[in-house]
Amino acid sequence: MLGFLTARRAGLDDPLRLRRAESTRRVLGLQLNPDRDVDRIHGNGINTIDIEAVEGRYMLSGGADGVIVIYDLENFSGKLQYTCKAVCTIGRSSRYVHKFSVETVQWYPYDTGMFVSSSFDKTMKVWDTETLKPAEVFQFEGNVYCHHLSPVARKHSLIAVGTTNPKIQLCDLKSGSRIHILQGHRAEVLSVRWSPRYEHILATASADSKVKVWDVRRASGSLFTLDQHNGDKSKASSEAVNTAHNGRVNGLCFTGDGLYLLTTGTDDRMRLWNSATGENTLVNYGKVCNESRKRLQFTVSRGCSPEFVFVPCGSSVAVYTLHTGELVTMLRGHYNNVDCCEFHPDYQEVYSGGKDCNILAWVPVLRPSGVEEDSDHEVKGAAGQSSVNPAFQDEWSSDED
Amino acid sequence: MSRKRALISDAFNLKKRRNGTEQFGATAAEEGPADIKSSLEYLMTLFPRKLFNDALPQIVLKHQLYSIHSDRTLVDKELNKMRERGDLLMFQLGFDAEAFGLVFTSDYKAKVLAGEEGKTTQPTVERFLEKVVTVCTDLSFTKDKMLKEFLFTDSEITQLVKSGVLTVRDAGSWWLSIPNSGKFTKYFIKGRKAVLNMVKKSKYGEVLKAEIEERRTNSQVKFHMKYHIHDIVGAELVESIPTTSGTLLRFVDS
Repeated sequence: MLGFLTARRAGLDDPLRLRRAESTRRVLGLQLNPDRDVDRIHGNGINTIDIEAVEGRYMLSGGADGVIVIYDLENFSGKLQYTCKAVCTIGRSSRYVHKFSVETVQWYPYDTGMFVSSSFDKTMKVWDTETLKPAEVFQFEGNVYCHHLSPVARKHSLIAVGTTNPKIQLCDLKSGSRIHILQGHRAEVLSVRWSPRYEHILATASADSKVKVWDVRRASGSLFTLDQHNGDKSKASSEAVNTAHNGRVNGLCFTGDGLYLLTTGTDDRMRLWNSATGENTLVNYGKVCNESRKRLQFTVSRGCSPEFVFVPCGSSVAVYTLHTGELVTMLRGHYNNVDCCEFHPDYQEVYSGGKDCNILAWVPVLRPSGVEEDSDHEVKGAAGQSSVNPAFQDEWSSDED
Repeated sequence: MSRKRALISDAFNLKKRRNGTEQFGATAAEEGPADIKSSLEYLMTLFPRKLFNDALPQIVLKHQLYSIHSDRTLVDKELNKMRERGDLLMFQLGFDAEAFGLVFTSDYKAKVLAGEEGKTTQPTVERFLEKVVTVCTDLSFTKDKMLKEFLFTDSEITQLVKSGVLTVRDAGSWWLSIPNSGKFTKYFIKGRKAVLNMVKKSKYGEVLKAEIEERRTNSQVKFHMKYHIHDIVGAELVESIPTTSGTLLRFVDS
């Protein structure tokens, strides 16, 4: 570590290198920390969480009871022990609360004045954070599985919505219109995701085992469908041609730079695709247990090298290296199934929520305390022991001499 | 859960030289790209040739290699390279969408030709082996391809299916297959089920790998225990956990 610092100071190393090395070290040291807690507000499982992109300070969570909570993640108390308090809640007592479970919540990408939530009560609501009232409600005919707003959009403000209807609806935030429809899937759409690189590229995953990538400016259909065999028609049985998975595809995630797309399916596989060509990179992650009938929210780290994927796997979160497929570790701590996890890029923390109504914060383990922080030790120190620098402590001679 | 030894990224890795050569617990095999071929050959030796009266070439399943080498992507890449070179053939075995059988090309050709001795289908099969198997690395063939690219007639295709080199996949396409491999599949599935039951019925659903390899096999298990162990570990039907007394296999309930 000191080597990295010196090299950066002397200009021998790119500044990014030190940052990446330290981020990677922190991600590898993720652990449950007794000092960090998230307020327990939900009375039922937590389906989705989202951390705002602007400051990384506020986190939204949506629960199976329709409740939406906003937490403040920043620790300004000065103490080590900190519980992320709930700033405000849209609870069962609110007039506008969703009637059934909230499946997806997302902050408006540009400020925290607004957020969008969609639920199994067939509505999608655009909320004003100040007054906690919906500014707009979109009605649908089927359960809404997921929605997504593009994080980089400048020219449009479309929300892509995936419902039980095979057609994907694009709702416009500015005008409230919903006439833009993307047709092509044959079964319910379980997950939609905009590319973080191009504002017009959208990826959608459906229960018909297919993943399609669309350019919303095109009038005709999708750009391409992801094929797990890369066009090698001989490998699979003939029904499985042009499918991304051998089962329902229920999770989609772009990497931070938008160059790769990860998909998970109920065939217990996770695949990494080149998002520009749609080619399966054939990275083998092994068996990634997946029994979810709804969307699975998983996330990729940002700013590390190598990048890591955090996937909820049963009651723990599995951490894989992105490009080699190696299972790094399993983060165990939840008492029941984990439904969602989110990576905080500034602090390299992972928040995961599950059916046990807990949101757990996985915090990088701190370096062992050095010599300078021994003021506490002096007070608590054993009788007679002077606060000597442990490096100079005499390990050899015994005390009886 | 406090981890006694933290995960360290490669950037900060400090290599410590170990002086002793004692190895406790689970011993990890040395790995390198060249060793995939030798692990393949090792697995081939576990295949019981006598059981099939030497009529079948030695078959290894692709996921058995995953139990030996930890980096699956590397294994896949190496296997693809070997297939491109024409040293290795891969077959879709049929009982599982993900179970692929691997056979050395030389072995396969030898056994198929030996099986075809004196039969009327021999010249067609020889032509098929020469023209198609050496050139094409596909697992299955469509009617179009057979007729136009490889210039086989309908009756010749029927002969190939009869001899067992092609198996029906659906109307108008065929899988490449190993003749007389039905017996292999039958014994394999039975044996796999029996070994899995042995693990499941053990106390706590787990058993030490060294212990189960020593156990007496019942009549259901025709293959070598190690062959089945590599199979169930590689297919992730059991979890392989390193402990101080060796590798532990725990049954995975899914």
